[in-house]
Amino acid sequence: METVEDHGNGELNHLTKKPRLTRFITESAIADEFAHHQPGVARINNGSFGSCPGSVLSSQREWQLKFLRQPDDFYFNGLRKGILRSRTLVKDLVGADDVEEVSLIDNATTGAAIVLQQIGRAFAEGRFDRNDAVLMFHCAFQAVKKSMEAYVRRAGGSVIEVRLPFPIRCDEEIITEFRKGLEKAKSNGRKVRLAIIDHITSMPSVVTPVKELVRICREEGVDQVFVDAAHAIGSVEVNVQEIGADFYVSNLHKWFFCPPSVAFLYCKKSGSSLDAHHPVVSHEYGNGLPTESSWIGTRDYSSQLAVPTAFEFVNSFEGGIRGIMKRNHDEVVKMGEMLAESWGTNLGAPPEMCASMVMVGLPSRLYVTSDDDALRLRSHLRAYYGVEVPIHYQGPRDGEDGVKDEYGIVTAYVRISHQVYNTLDDYCKLRDAINQIVDNKKTCKTLLIE
Amino acid sequence: MLRRLRTGLRPLHSGSRPNYQARVCVIGSPFNLLLFHSGSGSESGCSTPLLPPPLSQTQSPLSNLDHGRRRRRLHFPYHFLSTLPANSNNPAMNGDASHSKKKPKLSPPEISSEFSHHDPAVARINNGSFGCCPRSVTAAQRDWQHQFLRQPDNFFLNLLQPAISRSRSLVASLVNAPHVDQISLVDNATTAAAIFLQHCAWSFAEGRFSPGDAAVMLHYAYGAVKKSVEAYITRAGGHVIEVDLPFPVKSEDEIITEFRKALAKGKSEGRKVRIAVIDHVTSMPAVVIPVKELVKICREEGVEQVFVDAAHGIGCVDVDVQEIGADFYTSNLHKWFFCPPSVAFLYCRNQSNAGGDTQLQLHHPVVSHEYGNGLPVESGWIGTRDYSAQLVVPSAAEFVERFPGGIDGIKAANHSAVVEMGEMLAKAWGTNLGSPPEMCGSMIMVGLPACLGIGSESDSLKLRTHLRDCFAVEVPIYFNKRRHDHRGEEAGGGVITGYVRISYQVYNKVEDYERLRDAVHKLVNDGFTCGSLVEPESD
Repeated sequence: METVEDHGNGELNHLTKKPRLTRFITESAIADEFAHHQPGVARINNGSFGSCPGSVLSSQREWQLKFLRQPDDFYFNGLRKGILRSRTLVKDLVGADDVEEVSLIDNATTGAAIVLQQIGRAFAEGRFDRNDAVLMFHCAFQAVKKSMEAYVRRAGGSVIEVRLPFPIRCDEEIITEFRKGLEKAKSNGRKVRLAIIDHITSMPSVVTPVKELVRICREEGVDQVFVDAAHAIGSVEVNVQEIGADFYVSNLHKWFFCPPSVAFLYCKKSGSSLDAHHPVVSHEYGNGLPTESSWIGTRDYSSQLAVPTAFEFVNSFEGGIRGIMKRNHDEVVKMGEMLAESWGTNLGAPPEMCASMVMVGLPSRLYVTSDDDALRLRSHLRAYYGVEVPIHYQGPRDGEDGVKDEYGIVTAYVRISHQVYNTLDDYCKLRDAINQIVDNKKTCKTLLIE
Repeated sequence: MLRRLRTGLRPLHSGSRPNYQARVCVIGSPFNLLLFHSGSGSESGCSTPLLPPPLSQTQSPLSNLDHGRRRRRLHFPYHFLSTLPANSNNPAMNGDASHSKKKPKLSPPEISSEFSHHDPAVARINNGSFGCCPRSVTAAQRDWQHQFLRQPDNFFLNLLQPAISRSRSLVASLVNAPHVDQISLVDNATTAAAIFLQHCAWSFAEGRFSPGDAAVMLHYAYGAVKKSVEAYITRAGGHVIEVDLPFPVKSEDEIITEFRKALAKGKSEGRKVRIAVIDHVTSMPAVVIPVKELVKICREEGVEQVFVDAAHGIGCVDVDVQEIGADFYTSNLHKWFFCPPSVAFLYCRNQSNAGGDTQLQLHHPVVSHEYGNGLPVESGWIGTRDYSAQLVVPSAAEFVERFPGGIDGIKAANHSAVVEMGEMLAKAWGTNLGSPPEMCGSMIMVGLPACLGIGSESDSLKLRTHLRDCFAVEVPIYFNKRRHDHRGEEAGGGVITGYVRISYQVYNKVEDYERLRDAVHKLVNDGFTCGSLVEPESD
């Protein structure tokens, strides 16, 4: 990967890989960069809200001050240049052909709204037939499901869900279910107008064989493919041309060290992307989604403008983002296996289907029997053990035995993450907390959360 | 309510914050940290809760990182607070400035200090475009940002929604909305317009409106809103009728007459006028519209839904949503109410919350988990982002209270100052004001000498850039395409085609306007015309 240096005058200088004379970032410098994280908290939920180092926050503050100092000058002379610079870096990172295919938006939720709004319009304007289908995973992010309701169902489209098997052993299980879902969607002569495919599902978290799934969509004549890759950038390799979707969205504030919040939406140059508009319509309406998104009224665009500093941060690590991804992956798998062994449970997916997050089964003796139980346990861990980790309730399916540990069926999984600021101690705290709860013979329902 | 934990309590070690003494109260569970500031001498347990003090007053962990000098050394044992107690004394917590200990009024040097981050070289007379934000409010904003960054899960689960509710309550009382459920916080008026107009588009798609039904809006409606109307109304099959407005304008009657004409036009074409979009204060040219009167006319003529775009409303003109009587009313809080970029409110008269018919409700276009729970709640979570600008509305209200008469006092002072400055300029240049003083808020349009040769919008932009680059004056310029009844003739002959839109806000000084006056004098004396300017390099 090329390193990109900005010499502070707004120009980009692409340097090819040279042997670095400067050292890479040290452990203590990393700790400093994240000193604003609440000490004493085992922060193993990087997946939900991400993290941002101090140097990137400083850059963001500079941009904010620039605006406050002379906003008109900023608007006329600084803003668009700065956004274009960020977009260009992202375009190179994800292997897009043309910077006009890359828009910066707030988050993946906004990306979903953009994609689904244009689908909704097509239904409303009669270009799609009533009951034409849109396909998504049953475990799609809740916001995306609601967006489907708001834009697809409301406009007359039908929504078909594909079950994600979990726990899971291999890609084939997902591919099989996906094909089944497509067949169902196409039944009764329906046209499948859109497939939404998670690159990395949220809860439970699994890396899907997205390239294969997109290929199947093309084979089966699906009109448009939207990859919701909220977690992808900074945790897995992303090459949007290889993946081949029409739309691809990923958050830069989750795993790419940008401040909250900024995401990119890639729209392949083709017919459907011409009707994608930012729903907050402003002066730039009709000038292409990237330009529309760069001005949606007066607001704070500083997180979009600080993107180059995040690249600098990433490049201060050995191996850049690839190095970070590999180390995160290796560590999180190691920690996951450590926890599973200590608790006598299992991993929810094999390591090759994990990136920087791993699902680890919780002891059955906790008796997690509902989403509420899972939330209760999560709150208890936060309140009494200083551990922040999301918990997924996986109810048993009819006709299936479910995965068992020594004492019963495993019905819940923690989703642990590893990011550069984590230490072994974080995971030991979680391990010991769970063991203590089990040893004290506490179940979810009896846990205090205050 | 204090509850000691089994783990025992240790006082907070405050070693790295020399100006700051912290006492810890245990309310509920540990780990959902909030630091408490004890103030002076309150040893009795639960001290007045505050956010961590402004970063300007203490060493910020982030500024430590800036200099790389030292790390924060606060040790946090496992017994910190989760939620705030209900009767917090701090306006930032309960959103009601009047319950707080009133801070003294700001002196002129203090006001200057609050805006010392403004570029001191610039005569900043364009508060209308992007607003302004005092240091004390940006400091409060940074505190909220810090809360999120240090433990985002706790922030999301325990802090965010109560803080948004507090801001909404405060706004409700500011604008005399009877119920907080009528108030949503969004990024800006542009977003509010999109919310309303998307709702109208659904009405067309779902048959509540018929193709050809009309939407009425002012000719001087904001460009973004016009585009939004195109994107959502025209595209959905609606017909747009523009109200032709005169400019310069002499009285409210001229506007009322034109508005009636537009409604009549719709009727005569056999169209049902379904919605009206009315500016409270038009942007360019800036004129205060008799919005109460126009809403009344809409009701008389059976216009179903009236949306008032008051981007410039709060802090610039009087806002009483009940009196104005519109169905929807939006205003930016970062323009004239000292909030950081960006936050606006959208008032909805008849919107129900969770349980109402989804089709009849307004929805935020960025759909998230809260879809269907009412616009205020939907707008309170549209995915991970920085909501801090929404959370400092109480801090802005507190700032406002440090001026005599609060927001009303500021409005009155701004208005009389901008009128005085406008008249000074018009006299100096031999030109005119674009509207009478009673049709101005904190902004006024002043004619530029005709000899400057402003012949197009491009010219006005070029001249604006020239004033910025060569005279350090920031002021927007309006090109008046309409020549109506030979209004706007210069004293010495020649039609005035360009107007500056000057603003007055608490940080302005007479020198700002004198600089503009003298700049224009110099241009005139030098025989300058817009035609002599090259096209500015585009960004």
